[in-house]
Amino acid sequence: MTHSLHREGNLEKLERDFCVFIYPARGFNNKGSGPKVSKLFEIFYGNDASNCSSTSLRENLYSKVTPEEMLEAIRKDADSARAYATFNSREKVKNLLIQMKKADLGVSIMVSGMIDKVREITAEAGLDPHTINLSLGVHGRTDLLPPPDIRQFTTMCGHAVVSPHLVRQAIRKVKTGRRSLWDASVELAKPCACGIFNPHRSAEQLRDLAPIYTVSRW
Amino acid sequence: MLIHEDVCVGCGRCQPYCPEGAIGYLGLKSVVDQVACVECGTCLRVHVCPVDALYEHPLVFEYPRALRKFFSDPAATHKATGISGRGTEESKTNDVTGRVGPDEVGIAIEVGRPTLGMNLHDVQKISRALAKAGITEIEECNPIHSMYANPETGDLKPELLDERVLSAIIEMSVPFEKAALVLRTAKEVAKELDSVFTLDIFSTLGPNLTIQQRILDLLEAEGLPWRPNAKINMGLGRAGE
Repeated sequence: MTHSLHREGNLEKLERDFCVFIYPARGFNNKGSGPKVSKLFEIFYGNDASNCSSTSLRENLYSKVTPEEMLEAIRKDADSARAYATFNSREKVKNLLIQMKKADLGVSIMVSGMIDKVREITAEAGLDPHTINLSLGVHGRTDLLPPPDIRQFTTMCGHAVVSPHLVRQAIRKVKTGRRSLWDASVELAKPCACGIFNPHRSAEQLRDLAPIYTVSRW
Repeated sequence: MLIHEDVCVGCGRCQPYCPEGAIGYLGLKSVVDQVACVECGTCLRVHVCPVDALYEHPLVFEYPRALRKFFSDPAATHKATGISGRGTEESKTNDVTGRVGPDEVGIAIEVGRPTLGMNLHDVQKISRALAKAGITEIEECNPIHSMYANPETGDLKPELLDERVLSAIIEMSVPFEKAALVLRTAKEVAKELDSVFTLDIFSTLGPNLTIQQRILDLLEAEGLPWRPNAKINMGLGRAGE
């Protein structure tokens, strides 16, 4: 599952787009890890996550579940809970990493983001990262892909359940005044069960695209 | 996914949510194209139908259609891995598992990503090309491994080939010396596909998030530029906790 690795978009916006993952290792330290994941999830929430989810519920922040319900589900999920979140600033990620380091719970933490930004953040947080996963691009029938301005939304859900049709519909709704930038972004975030679709980045992108799109259907 | 014809009011609200564009109108009602549907469950999960007309296909958990569910619905847990999603933990827990050591690389070929989805024939084209090149180190914990009929030839079980899924990941860990062969084979077989794949490589880091120079040299030599955003393991994990 490298579902946050291939996020596309302009560099200026990607610099403010981070995903963080809490991941106990199956067969190594997952037994009884629920309370640790729960504590780390609280750190997510305390640092103003743009979106978040856990595998215990598979409902994201915009699915009408409360953070308390998310935490309770994680605590009950003793051996297999994992949690994901997305953030829209390097400072938030730096602060949460400092807190996670201090908590010293021995659970693997992953950060997806611009390499140079993550390098700065980890240096400031006093961390020495272990492994890097690099994206080597898309190959094959790339001519069949939706255009890059649509992919900058759809690739925010690496499982590809945010549909290009839904993105086009969101642009049309914004353009015709039927949705605000934020409400349209929340609608786009709903299908992403992992909670790594970043509605803050989406709202900025919709603001950029709406003026230049024509309205045809939906 | 299916839609109760007698319940559907034809509002079409479910249609744009389908990543595969499998929901359309037949007359005044919405219907799901059963060939194109990958059973990702998105249309049902977002609760967009005002009259609850959507319901899961009765064979959604029956082999081989269940493949669609396991490789398309992020909330479905695959029997082979015990984890939800389409791959394994790969780089995410490498600080604990040591699955890929300093002299190895992990490589993943994520077929159908981004966005397009694919027919499992495309996976077989890649698995055959890898086997022909002598690359047989397919990750045993990955669900793809259990789909092989013959690891020597890369043939998948024939009954699976017509299934359509959002994506599937061919994962492997190989010695650094073998990485060029894997990357070259992947690039070559890409020309034969009906869909797309994303390619990625993972390795351990030097101090201060320094990428191994030989990895960068390898990618440059193979004509594979790496994107400026990456997924990075913070090194906070410990075994036996």
